[in-house]
Amino acid sequence: MRASTSSRHILRSAKNIRTLHTTVQRQTSLASSSSSSTVNPDEIAHFSRLSAQWWDERGEFGMLHKMNPVRTQFVREKLVEMEYEDGHEDLNEAKVLEGLKVLDVGCGGGLFSESLTRLGANTLGIDASASNIAIASLHASNDPALSFTSSSLPQRFGSSVSHKGKGKLTYEHTSVEDLLAREGPNSFDVVCSMEVVEHVDNPRAFLTSCAEILKPGGHLFLSTIARTPLAYFLTIFSAEQLLRFVTPGTHTWSKYINPSELTSFFHNLHSSSSLSSPSSGEIEVKGQTMDIEVG
Amino acid sequence: MLSTSNSRTALRQLQRSRCLLKRLVHNSIVPEHCDVLVVGGGPAGLAFAAALGSSHRVQESLRVVLVEASDLSKVKQWSLPEGYSNRVSSITNASRGFLRDIGAWSHVEESRTRPVEEMQVWDGISDARVAFSASELLSSQPISELSRLTENLNLQRALLHRIACLPSIEIMDKVKVQSIVQDNQDGSDWPLVHLSDGRVIRTRLLVGADGPNSPVRSYAGIKSYGWAYDTHAIVGTLYHTPRGPYSPPNTTAYQRFLPTGPIAFLPLSETASSMVWSTKPSLAAALKAVESSVLVAMINAAFRLPEVSIRYLHSRILEAQESGSPLTLDELREELAFREQSHSIDSHSAFSSLMSSEEASGIPPEGADSLPPPITSIQPGTIASFPLRLSHAESYVGEGKGARTVLVGDAAHTIHPLAGQGLNLGLADAEALAECIDQAVAGGLDIGSHTALLSYPRNRYFENHKMLSAVDKLHKLYSTTAEPVVWARSVGLEVVNELDTVKTALMMSAGSHRTNVSQTGWELAARGVGSISQNLHSARMLGEGVAGMVGASVQQLFKQATTPRQ
Ligand SMILES: Cc1cc2nc3c(=O)[nH]c(=O)nc-3n(C[C@H](O)[C@H](O)[C@H](O)COP(=O)(O)OP(=O)(O)OC[C@H]3O[C@@H](n4cnc5c(N)ncnc54)[C@H](O)[C@@H]3O)c2cc1C
Repeated sequence: MRASTSSRHILRSAKNIRTLHTTVQRQTSLASSSSSSTVNPDEIAHFSRLSAQWWDERGEFGMLHKMNPVRTQFVREKLVEMEYEDGHEDLNEAKVLEGLKVLDVGCGGGLFSESLTRLGANTLGIDASASNIAIASLHASNDPALSFTSSSLPQRFGSSVSHKGKGKLTYEHTSVEDLLAREGPNSFDVVCSMEVVEHVDNPRAFLTSCAEILKPGGHLFLSTIARTPLAYFLTIFSAEQLLRFVTPGTHTWSKYINPSELTSFFHNLHSSSSLSSPSSGEIEVKGQTMDIEVG
Repeated sequence: MLSTSNSRTALRQLQRSRCLLKRLVHNSIVPEHCDVLVVGGGPAGLAFAAALGSSHRVQESLRVVLVEASDLSKVKQWSLPEGYSNRVSSITNASRGFLRDIGAWSHVEESRTRPVEEMQVWDGISDARVAFSASELLSSQPISELSRLTENLNLQRALLHRIACLPSIEIMDKVKVQSIVQDNQDGSDWPLVHLSDGRVIRTRLLVGADGPNSPVRSYAGIKSYGWAYDTHAIVGTLYHTPRGPYSPPNTTAYQRFLPTGPIAFLPLSETASSMVWSTKPSLAAALKAVESSVLVAMINAAFRLPEVSIRYLHSRILEAQESGSPLTLDELREELAFREQSHSIDSHSAFSSLMSSEEASGIPPEGADSLPPPITSIQPGTIASFPLRLSHAESYVGEGKGARTVLVGDAAHTIHPLAGQGLNLGLADAEALAECIDQAVAGGLDIGSHTALLSYPRNRYFENHKMLSAVDKLHKLYSTTAEPVVWARSVGLEVVNELDTVKTALMMSAGSHRTNVSQTGWELAARGVGSISQNLHSARMLGEGVAGMVGASVQQLFKQATTPRQ
């Protein structure tokens, strides 16, 4: 099974989902005004506001913020576990991510990418939504410890700022399929995609690309929301209707994936594919449903 | 759909406009950066910085700066001056364990500290008394002391020496925080701290260890609730004769609960001790104004004379003060002689405040061990007073416009000193916050984020609250305003059992283990005191027969509290 080369449609829903409605409209105006050379402080104000909204830990994305430590811990623990399994006994557990090339697919406002970078990973966060990338870039550029690099957005504080940040962080507005086409397979030590797979139209193709871009022996981390009545209750009913944590429509029921379905997908991929990439890597699937703290 | 190059253009444009804005809005001051900016070099701020700097993870990843308005070189140079400082704190075993763990206690000049091996606490009206010693502490290992009296300067100096060994901590003293504003450029929420030397620091996390009037708390917009106690604490260093050869050494702390507030005697050496006398503000002012020898006699009387006579003496002092001719020593001695005579107190007994210094150094009279040694003089310049209030911040972590802020120590709470807990609470805060940040660093979190700081208030807020309310209730129980309690005390009803609650609380807080044992004790104490007041209220209506009920409930409480935890 090969990765789909057509990428756009796969993440289209993710784009809509992970973006506030106003952003989509604004994006267009930003794009259309981009040829003009006049400075538009309105745009800055707009993205600043969006960024503040996205990063408001008590706000709409609060659940994401609450889940972030759990995800990060999960990734660290698994990497440590694998290192020990591979016989690296002198491992410095705190530095297990240091120097690794990590791809965060569907990075949103950059929450998880920032954490990975702080732990020493050289992180590339990609998202199908341009405004998410703008939000994430703005936020990272405000943090001098992140060694944030962007081809288009120079560091706000320049190199004079002394910091002890370890990893490098980059964001790019692209899809995993486009990235795969450009960088080729076997490019990353770790690929993460958190709460994205349930939003894509063609999960099979999406997951295949994620697997292909991974180096042999690399690690793929996915989290999703299990298709169970409880998950439905927690995320759809409680969160959307009851608590209004999430913009209604953020999660689409039909795209929820059960962790066991994910595992079996990879087992099939593993046995039926001639690809070497994920076969030597560990496949870790963790349903995060239970980690969601509502309220 | 937007192409990548389009979004790049958008970002480039953002950057360009940002530069322009920056030039327009900010003048040329370029802010410095740090990860943790601690405001306040008091015991809490220094302990927090030392704890934070002792973590390897933090050393490798964070830049920590501490700003203090006063000159810390004086503290650093503190070296066993002859006299004792009037700011002395009772450091619990739990706090000492923490200070040892972060490598600070070894820098404390131990010869200037004094173990408290025993405490005696009694009621000013009924004279009901409890005494307790370290040997009663429940612990797997024997504990020789209840707490350690330590000059704040000695502790602060030790912390400064410890911090000097930690390269990741930078201290800026003689620098005041002048204003704090939010850097809300580009959706950032980092605090920009303007210092008196013109520097500006942009910080990931701003720690308010800046005392009761905390500027950081104001910036964060965190409300603080509480009330003034209509009480001032007079502190001072007292000199006295050494305990005689037939008496135990001066390692007993004494506290007498008078209706105006408690007076405490805290041993520092064989011949010096510290005093904390909480009383009405007008009286505190009058006592501070009298001649030193008069104050000495008043202090001796405050530990000895029956309450009615103390009340009378206080009114005399106040009258004299108001009339503009403060009470002289001769006038006071005359009053004391008359009062003692009417109470049939022999002038050679331990309960007389009139003994000469020769008498004081001779063979102690009977009952001397239940009282502090007679005070002979006061170290000049050490008498000072502080208003007391209860206050507790509504939260410890700022949000929104006050994001990236957190409070520790007196910036977060102030407490009546009757249980000697204020600084200990601040040290526990420091320990918990440092631990929280260490964990956040381990998890790759932004240590200034609300999520990263969540465990700190979870660990401390309720614990502090329990202690604050227990001490508040104890204060109220012994002050004249609580009507049913006054009634109960005037008839001597079960005060011993109330004191048992005090005892439980003090003993638990003296525990050797840095677990929640101490807090459990306070929780029980708070509940106990609360139920006593309630019971007393009903007792007044029911009349007799209730004493047993109150007694039983307190005894039950005491049993619970002293049973080792599973
Ligand atoms: C009479 C009395 C007796 C007490 N006895 C005991 C006892 O026996 N045991 C006990 O545990 N506790 C005791 N306490 C309480 C104890 O003293 C306090 O809890 C403790 O000092 C609080 O420490 P802190 O570091 O939080 O605050 P502080 O000691 O108040 O330190 C705050 C620091 O912040 C600095 N600061 C403030 N604003 C700024 C600014 N804008 N810029 C720069 N720096 C600034 C100040 O200069 C100060 O150094 C007692 C208190 C009193 C009043």
